[in-house]
Amino acid sequence: MLRVVSTLITALLALSVVSAHAQTPPPNAAEAKPEAVAAPATQVAPATDAAPATDASPVTDAAASPAVAAPDTRALDEQIQSLKKDAVDLNRELFMLEEELLFPANTQVAVFLSMDVGEYFAVDSVQIKIDNKEVTNYLYTPREAEALLRGGVQRLFLGNLKVGEHELVAIFNGKGPNDRDYRRGASVRFNKAVGAKYLELKISDRQRRAQPEFEIKDWE
Amino acid sequence: MFLSLCATLSATAADKALRAGQPAPDFALRTIGGPNVRLSEQRGEVVVVAFWSSRCGPCRAHLKELDTLHAGLKDQGLIVYAVNVDDDIRAAREFAAGLSLKIPFLLDPGKGVARAYRVDSLPMMFMIDRLGIVRGVRRDDRAGAPSNADAEVRRLLAQ
Repeated sequence: MLRVVSTLITALLALSVVSAHAQTPPPNAAEAKPEAVAAPATQVAPATDAAPATDASPVTDAAASPAVAAPDTRALDEQIQSLKKDAVDLNRELFMLEEELLFPANTQVAVFLSMDVGEYFAVDSVQIKIDNKEVTNYLYTPREAEALLRGGVQRLFLGNLKVGEHELVAIFNGKGPNDRDYRRGASVRFNKAVGAKYLELKISDRQRRAQPEFEIKDWE
Repeated sequence: MFLSLCATLSATAADKALRAGQPAPDFALRTIGGPNVRLSEQRGEVVVVAFWSSRCGPCRAHLKELDTLHAGLKDQGLIVYAVNVDDDIRAAREFAAGLSLKIPFLLDPGKGVARAYRVDSLPMMFMIDRLGIVRGVRRDDRAGAPSNADAEVRRLLAQ
């Protein structure tokens, strides 16, 4: 069993190296690209300029060469695009495989964050503790906070927990009503059974009290 | 405390210094009097990340030069982050207020970002290209002054 896992990890590492090489452009990629684009232009220009001045035969030769070269570059471009797509697909598969290996379904715990309205609370950071141990402390930029307000759901934490009773404490920092510093906590005790566990931290506005509300929902 | 930090950072850096060509570690930090900042949100821009402390002598001149560099090149897309590594945030705020510069001052009291960048001396400056790759590392000597990094920054902006 161990041998199988180690072989799998070795293959995974090898594939990730291949993927990284395929995705990371060479340091001079930005310089190389304009040259590649510029090359046909410099070949075509003399041919069109030469057309009225010289006799027909050199012009046809000159005109013919880019016409022959064009399908080659197009085919090459298609091959490059195909390779890029393969690399992206491979990377995605590796990412999924990595998650399956690192966070197997029977121990996996994921915590998500969502916001509704946000009139009474502007999020600055969220700290999560599981069984009194800090597992994440995420600082939000204005762009990320805006994405949450637009309906985005963020996966704040992904980890492993053994089967049994656990406690999650979430501490929310930000600006509350009247632009005052605001810090609130919410906690939940949950039972981790065999199978993945998903929890959602939900920030919403309580209109009646003109205060934000912090809930932790267990996705059954 | 400051010396122990430097010693720790030096020991870490000696093991494996962050070099040109390596991806710049992402970070999210609070700023003095501004919004929080995440490096990866600046992908597509040239970013200079400079580490400083209120106890570091040459940092004052270094930051002023960086501010001048930023003022001249911000229209071309240059972003400068001055990351403070003081334990005492109040001292950092006072120091920054005394300089009255335009560049954003970021706070890294936990030194998590300084460790990720393997900062081994102060001031220390990292030049990051539009793809998020470190292209230049400069330490505290006159050759590493921001004014001398002008050509390198311009070259990155031209790419």
